Amino acid sequence: MNTAGPLHIALTFDDYFWAPAYATMRSVCLTTRRRTDLVFHLFHWQLADENRAILDAIGTEFGARIIHTALAENAAVRALLARLPGTKSFPPVVYARLLLNQLLPAEVERVLYLDSDVYVRAPVETLIGIDLEGKTLAAAPEPGRHHLVRGNDMKTRMGPFDPADPYFNSGVLLIDRARWGEARLPDYLESLITSGQLNALYHDQDVLNLKFLGDVTLLDPRWNLTKPHPALRALDPFIVHYTTGMKPWNTLAYVAFGSSYKHVMTRAVLRRYAAYRRRRWLAGLFSPKA
Amino acid sequence: MTGTLHIALTFDDRYWAPAYAVMRSISLASNRRPDLVFHLIHTGISPASRAHLDSFANEFPVAINHIALDQHQAYKAFVADLPIAKPFSPVIYARLLLDRLLPETAQRIVYLDCDTFVRAPIETLFAENLGGKPIGAVLDAHRHMQMLGRDLRQNSDVFSYNFPYFNSGVLLIDRTAYASADMPGRTMELHRQGLLSRLQYDQAALNLVFKDNWHNLDWRWNVICPEPAHEVLDPFILHYTGPRKPWSLLPGAAFARLYRHVMTNDIFYAFWRERLRARLPGLLKVLVPK
Repeated sequence: MNTAGPLHIALTFDDYFWAPAYATMRSVCLTTRRRTDLVFHLFHWQLADENRAILDAIGTEFGARIIHTALAENAAVRALLARLPGTKSFPPVVYARLLLNQLLPAEVERVLYLDSDVYVRAPVETLIGIDLEGKTLAAAPEPGRHHLVRGNDMKTRMGPFDPADPYFNSGVLLIDRARWGEARLPDYLESLITSGQLNALYHDQDVLNLKFLGDVTLLDPRWNLTKPHPALRALDPFIVHYTTGMKPWNTLAYVAFGSSYKHVMTRAVLRRYAAYRRRRWLAGLFSPKA
Repeated sequence: MTGTLHIALTFDDRYWAPAYAVMRSISLASNRRPDLVFHLIHTGISPASRAHLDSFANEFPVAINHIALDQHQAYKAFVADLPIAKPFSPVIYARLLLDRLLPETAQRIVYLDCDTFVRAPIETLFAENLGGKPIGAVLDAHRHMQMLGRDLRQNSDVFSYNFPYFNSGVLLIDRTAYASADMPGRTMELHRQGLLSRLQYDQAALNLVFKDNWHNLDWRWNVICPEPAHEVLDPFILHYTGPRKPWSLLPGAAFARLYRHVMTNDIFYAFWRERLRARLPGLLKVLVPK
């Protein structure tokens, strides 16, 4: 158990996820008594100023520290992200977590990375303080891994993973910074781009699983409960991860803790976010397709 | 732990394709494929079904040992008088004869029902410490109704509400201790007492014989009635008890899509057509009355 010192938490997101990132941060603050030890490292892509101001309000409400890094202002990061494959659901910013060692301040020794569609329900210091058993990171198993790594009929994707190998979900990662740095992930990513192998991989998650195979402490699935059906509330999960298309910020979302989540986001931010998404959707109707 | 991993399945021709899926799920998830030996104990298997099962060894370096019960005198004599009702077939009693059917070399055995789906390395189950008990199994979550029947009083002369009753669909067996229990003799004794016909056949017999003499495995080794909400619990073995079978077209069961790819789409649809053909005469009788 980590009992003193700063609790470093990293989020990487683009402007579309400003409100879910706010809810994730607020959920962390609500469930810990060590609010003033929290340091949120926010690595964002094209975050609008008015949305940034809302994120900063977390610091005022809870006394947590917030450190912003605008990824677009870093020429090297900008150049790298421009060369990475992306989809609507997985924009290139998902790879930013691979650059944490290059982006975080030098004093950070251990960091908890969180996707911005998670809802933290247990004191985050419990997770940050676990024994990593000499491994580089801790993460929860990915329940859908077998089909993911082997493809249709479990034989259309014969590599690079064996379905007998452990495979984790990359949405919640507890990271030993020194060991993570030794892995030289940007160079590794560069080699995957050059060889063309990256196009055959499932985003950052495959990259991390490939690089850290056998170097991961597997967490209790309740630290990253994916596909959260309402029936799973009874498990009192520690971190809920809304991985499917059903997101708790939608009006009709049949997910665990959907109602609580809306109050964590606050109704004011929820309304503002709904209006934001409507504007984006309308703008999309009239903008030429890429 | 090293050495051969002996796995026993018992089934009739109605279950040849699910048996194939069980074998393939084990092989995909195991790190010790060359050590796997599947003892397929069956009755009424068609040559075509057997060919499908044998083709499995072309994909994985495993051994398959067929044990045909059709001409097996000891089996036939054993099940001749035992009660059975649909949808079960007498072959469910074959698990009680495992110590007489399997080769002497099989000292530790994993028995699996054919409506299971293995997602974790089976060698982990083999390595379980039985603590000197003859078998390992999982407490049956539906045990109260299974034991006591309607109004929880039908079989109160045999079972108490707190009887530790396990599910017999996944069994880790110490062959010597299992043989010492003389399951066939004890089962016939229960039958003569008129108990077997009103209890749950082989499962009740195993529970009565091994009362307080079995090792309770982690519940994830036999997750019964698995629904999609249970996927995130990362079960080790799914057991599709109840009406939701993953080989149905609209299954509503956990990991149903993955199961279809484990069975392979070719076999999944061939099996579906086979069942449709078998049901057609009955359907026609209903639709076109004389």
